Amino acid sequence: MQLKAVGQGVQRVDIRQKVRGTRKYPQDFNMEGQLYAKVVWSAHPHAVVKRIDTSAAEAVPGVVRVITYRDVPVNEYGINVHDQPVLIAEGDKVRWVGDRIAIVVAETERIAAHARDLVQVEYELLPVVDDPRQAMKPGAPLVHEDRESNILKHIVIRRGDVEQAFAQADVIVEGYYTTHHVEHAYLQPDAALGFVDDEGRIAVISSCQWPADDLHQIAHMLDLPEDQLREIVPTVGGAFGGREDMYIQHLAALCAFVLRRPVKIVFDREEVTQRTGKRHPFYMRHRTGATRDGRIVAAQVELISDAGAYASTSIPVLGNAASFALGPYKIPHARVDAYTVYTNNAVTMAMRGFGATQPPFGYESQMDKLAEALGMDPVELRLQNLLDVGDIAVTGNVMTAETGAKETLRQAALAAGWREEDGHWIKPDLGTPSAPYKRRGIGVAIAYKNVGYSLGYDDKTTAKVELSLAESGEIARVLVKVAAVEVGQGVLTALAQIAADTLGVDVDKVRLALVDTTETPDAGSSSASRHVFISGNAVARAAAQAKEKWQAILRDETGEMHVEAEYTFHGRSVRPTTPFDPETGQCEPHISYSYAAQVALVEVDVETGQTEILKFWAAADAGKVINPIMYFGQQAGGVHMGVGYALTENYIQQEGRPRARRFSEYHIPTVMDMPHEFESIAVESAPDPNGPFGATGLGETPTLPTAPAITNAIHDATGVWIESLPANAERVWRALRAAHKL
Amino acid sequence: MLLEMILNGKSVSVEIEPGDLLVQVLRERLGLIGTKIACGEGECGACTVLVDGVAVTSCIYPAMKAHGRRVETIEGVAQDHELHTIQQAFVDHAASQCGYCTPGFIMSAKALLDVNPQPTRDEIVAGISGNLCRCTGYYQIVDAIEDAARRMGEGR
Repeated sequence: MQLKAVGQGVQRVDIRQKVRGTRKYPQDFNMEGQLYAKVVWSAHPHAVVKRIDTSAAEAVPGVVRVITYRDVPVNEYGINVHDQPVLIAEGDKVRWVGDRIAIVVAETERIAAHARDLVQVEYELLPVVDDPRQAMKPGAPLVHEDRESNILKHIVIRRGDVEQAFAQADVIVEGYYTTHHVEHAYLQPDAALGFVDDEGRIAVISSCQWPADDLHQIAHMLDLPEDQLREIVPTVGGAFGGREDMYIQHLAALCAFVLRRPVKIVFDREEVTQRTGKRHPFYMRHRTGATRDGRIVAAQVELISDAGAYASTSIPVLGNAASFALGPYKIPHARVDAYTVYTNNAVTMAMRGFGATQPPFGYESQMDKLAEALGMDPVELRLQNLLDVGDIAVTGNVMTAETGAKETLRQAALAAGWREEDGHWIKPDLGTPSAPYKRRGIGVAIAYKNVGYSLGYDDKTTAKVELSLAESGEIARVLVKVAAVEVGQGVLTALAQIAADTLGVDVDKVRLALVDTTETPDAGSSSASRHVFISGNAVARAAAQAKEKWQAILRDETGEMHVEAEYTFHGRSVRPTTPFDPETGQCEPHISYSYAAQVALVEVDVETGQTEILKFWAAADAGKVINPIMYFGQQAGGVHMGVGYALTENYIQQEGRPRARRFSEYHIPTVMDMPHEFESIAVESAPDPNGPFGATGLGETPTLPTAPAITNAIHDATGVWIESLPANAERVWRALRAAHKL
Repeated sequence: MLLEMILNGKSVSVEIEPGDLLVQVLRERLGLIGTKIACGEGECGACTVLVDGVAVTSCIYPAMKAHGRRVETIEGVAQDHELHTIQQAFVDHAASQCGYCTPGFIMSAKALLDVNPQPTRDEIVAGISGNLCRCTGYYQIVDAIEDAARRMGEGR
């Protein structure tokens, strides 16, 4: 097959409308006679709702209805488990400040906002559980009173004989690493417009990541069959995992169901910040043992993650975290204990990396500690221990063709100035700091992640490809129907490129249909770096079948002008995954993988603790690059999120009450916080024969090693280990003061 | 009360309420949905428009302050079917991903290049430091503005 689109920097299919400002996001839609809704949020992180009095709000002129739990046919929802009440009932509990008491619907947004403050709620306060380490102890107050413990899940991995192996290690290093709550901070606030469509369906226009799962949950909530529901997904302004759970679309659907009129809900930034889910904080206690010559013989880790008030995807996030807990290394004797625990903190959920983002801060800090203890170069130590094709992972699976760890690290290190002499790696000269009170340092880290849903889940996408033929019989137009949500990552363009080259047509003949559950088949979620691999395979195979049908039409001269083909691709058809064995954790965890290795050159101001990133090298191997321009976008955007994770972002809660409300109090990196120079390296050393054209997936991996690359550089510059994120100025300053006993 | 302004080169009169913000008037009363609300506190720049050539955050800008002034939004940047050079550079450098911040960045870039047609890279960085993007990592945006300045310089 000749590649004309795949591998080229094809222009994004949506970008011309985006630069004109004409692309419509959910808040840009309005309907004749629409109403406006505002949510009454829980005022407390843990309390019994004794009484809800809506009379004052209902008395406000212009208020149409105050919707409460009595209006919800089946008052529960949730992405994996239906454990969240839609609206809290009198006598029931609120479990975090994102729980909802009522929805005020009015003729204008101002009236709705005014009236929501008049809804009176009487609470009986309960003790707040705000630390998972305390919450998992016997006797801790229960977040879910029908459970025996706040521990939602415990996963174990046991490989070899860890105790005996540690006894034989020449060097053992330990560390206790903690990561923080992080807000997705997509720029487009959540918005939804619920209405009854021309065929009587309850419909919602909304931003989301997985329309079919939304529909599944809304059907349960409204006790309606899915064919009486509809979700339309126009342009989505970022997601990063934060729109995988429902926060607004079911509320708009409920309003339309109750009132039979269009109802619009738009969250403000404070609501997005305080009332939607976050990335899990992890507490990670590591122990790593190696021989004098730098061979890891044993490693163990205990992971505790804060699940927040409801399960969301905390269990699969924990599964990922456990499988990646010790890094992409050959470890013959390993022990992992991973827990996720309910608290009254924010619900925690998918966020770029899905449990693969927190562990690298632990395992890559351990590798640098080990390198220092052994007197070895950190690149050399890693190269000696990294997994290669044919090696066995701690979960017992054999690493396959797409294992690009070593080459990815090698290319990152070489680009950053490392050199290899007589089999040894030598770090580059860093030059002179820009001021006498500044110190320079360089740090490296590597990480890996799954592509597609893991641990036995049936990951699948259905795609339809329709060809319109010209009089000549040539393909005039291609329409691809697949509910793969474009959240900014470029999936529409990538799938158009894959369809174009499979069919042998120009990419500008291919159009992707608007995502609408009545028209586009389920493509799973825009998550797990999966669309290029899973949906790409579905589109490629549907396109290949359409091409065969088209060729038959030409051969048989039937005169048909239209061709359709549909294909459902299952990840298990190329690699069946299996759940953790309950006793040993041994399994085939993932469908495919991608790798990222990064190097940070930093300057630390030792008087203020402020870290500046002078240069950053980001290498990644996600197999074949489908579009180099969008590949760069994922690399730079991933590092942006990694820099925020490492240095500036911290979602602080005190006794379950969040402190930050908006961007002035939650600092995502500005252009000035980014590395001054940035180099993206596309490695392409380990294509996956199962991926379309050899591609795997890149959406998440570039975020994973950024934080440890930076904290390892801070250590190189100053000698202090930063074991808690973020490594903001205050924390680095305190660590410097402690180390120098000032 | 009646707000009169020159909006994207045309005289516009619109009845508003006291306390209305410029972004509300643009989006809700005039249907110009290209100006985006993301933070509501003037922190992220997604709502940036130009008032008498100066970039302002319209989500905290009282609408009446625009009375009698020239207001320019993203809808007024392209000349009919032709993209503005800045917009074309954003296309060529893939400087927009989810796109929600994009109109604001383009307006900030225009405010910068209108007064400083040949900015240094540092001046470009300073010029967009009030705009937040969560997708791109910013490099493509800086490249696009640098390239737009070069192309506009050649065209002069």
